[in-house]
Amino acid sequence: MLLGDFGTSYCKFLALGQEGAEPTILPSKELPPGLRVDLATGHNGRRYADRYVNELVALARGGAALITEERYVLLDCGSRDIKFIRYENGKVADMGWNAECGASMGFTIELLERYYDLDFARMQAPERTFSVTCGVLGMSDIFDAVISGVPVAEAVARFVKGIAINAYRFAGSPPRLHLSGGLCDNPIFVASFPCQVVPLGRFVLLQGLAAMAGQEKIISSRG
Amino acid sequence: MPSHAEQIPPPPSSFREVGIVGIPPLKVISALNAAGIVIHDLDEPLVRESLETASPYLPRVYCAILRTAVVNALHLPLDAIYIDTGPGKCDCALHTATILADSLPIPVIQTKNTDSTPFGTPLCQARLDPVAKMQAITRGVKSAAAPSGTPPPCPPTAGFWGVPPRDFSILSLFPETTHFYGWARCMENKTPADHTLESLYNEQVPTVFFAQSFCAKTALARYLARKHPHALYLDVDAHTSSSAKAKVQAFLELSGIS
Repeated sequence: MLLGDFGTSYCKFLALGQEGAEPTILPSKELPPGLRVDLATGHNGRRYADRYVNELVALARGGAALITEERYVLLDCGSRDIKFIRYENGKVADMGWNAECGASMGFTIELLERYYDLDFARMQAPERTFSVTCGVLGMSDIFDAVISGVPVAEAVARFVKGIAINAYRFAGSPPRLHLSGGLCDNPIFVASFPCQVVPLGRFVLLQGLAAMAGQEKIISSRG
Repeated sequence: MPSHAEQIPPPPSSFREVGIVGIPPLKVISALNAAGIVIHDLDEPLVRESLETASPYLPRVYCAILRTAVVNALHLPLDAIYIDTGPGKCDCALHTATILADSLPIPVIQTKNTDSTPFGTPLCQARLDPVAKMQAITRGVKSAAAPSGTPPPCPPTAGFWGVPPRDFSILSLFPETTHFYGWARCMENKTPADHTLESLYNEQVPTVFFAQSFCAKTALARYLARKHPHALYLDVDAHTSSSAKAKVQAFLELSGIS
């Protein structure tokens, strides 16, 4: 059974039932024509499968399979949107999905890294931040800072921190949060949260699909 | 300037079709019904015209219900408009009344509905398709009579709190056993300024607290959603986006509601 999480920038796949199979990642723009999967999620997923699972449901099911705590907040920062689920006593207490004002945050971070030829893995989280409401609007702050003499790397790092703080507030400013999505691999982003962060990696939605297909745990808690 | 209907005069015999915005007092609706005048509820999309045609009169970032009312007012053959600007409506309607009165060649009559006689809320508590239920409630504002033949109440499994949305498609996601709360309930009860009834919710059932984007009721919706132990706050503009629908679907599914 082939599972697919069809994100804006990247798609994640897992062949469920194949021994030793690991999740794979493919840039969305490189998807082969005619591709079909058995169970899909992600905002592009409806086009590639007969069975589609709502992204928030996949996130919640994935979180429930990976997190053993009774009370937690799970935040997914994707390329295009951010979403969170808050569980209290094992039940969903709150959720949010920001595809408009929180749009394009992950996409913009990746774009900036390439455009300015930066390596986030070798950079530190900055002290200061920008007040960022969305990826597109926040870029003006970078340009203004650079014009005023702030080094490019510092300006971009402040932008990334601003996005992390915005996502943190969107999730209800919890003292501890579990983080899902590709930005788990961005050390500046993870270090910029003003709370304890538990990165779960980018396969949490795939884990949710697997749980719905009857397989409880396909990845370790840090995929 | 719009005229104010403190002492509401009977409608002139020349009136054939009028528009209403919000919920004018029962006396106004009674008089219009008695005179056989056709009432158009301008809060609902009635004409196939773009919302952009309201933009010369109202900002684009404005309540989609009132923008819709302006579009209807511009395109329907109306003899007058009764627009409620009392405590059961909002300042946005008050300013819209001023603009319509200056822009249209027909009377724009402001009313202040403080009706307090409860008509009951059987539809809000009935087992019915939620879209049909909301349509029946909004249809009710055009009649001074209580609805007849309403179904009996059902135990609720979910709640929808808020105003009738500009785009009813969001309601199609809810089960038939959804109870309506908020201003929709005030509407059926014919007491639009009853803020106590508007603030009522049922903490025993998962509830979506809905408000139109840019409406003052967003504050109340979000406040009540935070007080409710199992709630989703949602604001939607002119059309229900796919992410808004996905949020409601996920909320209901994860709450164990099919």
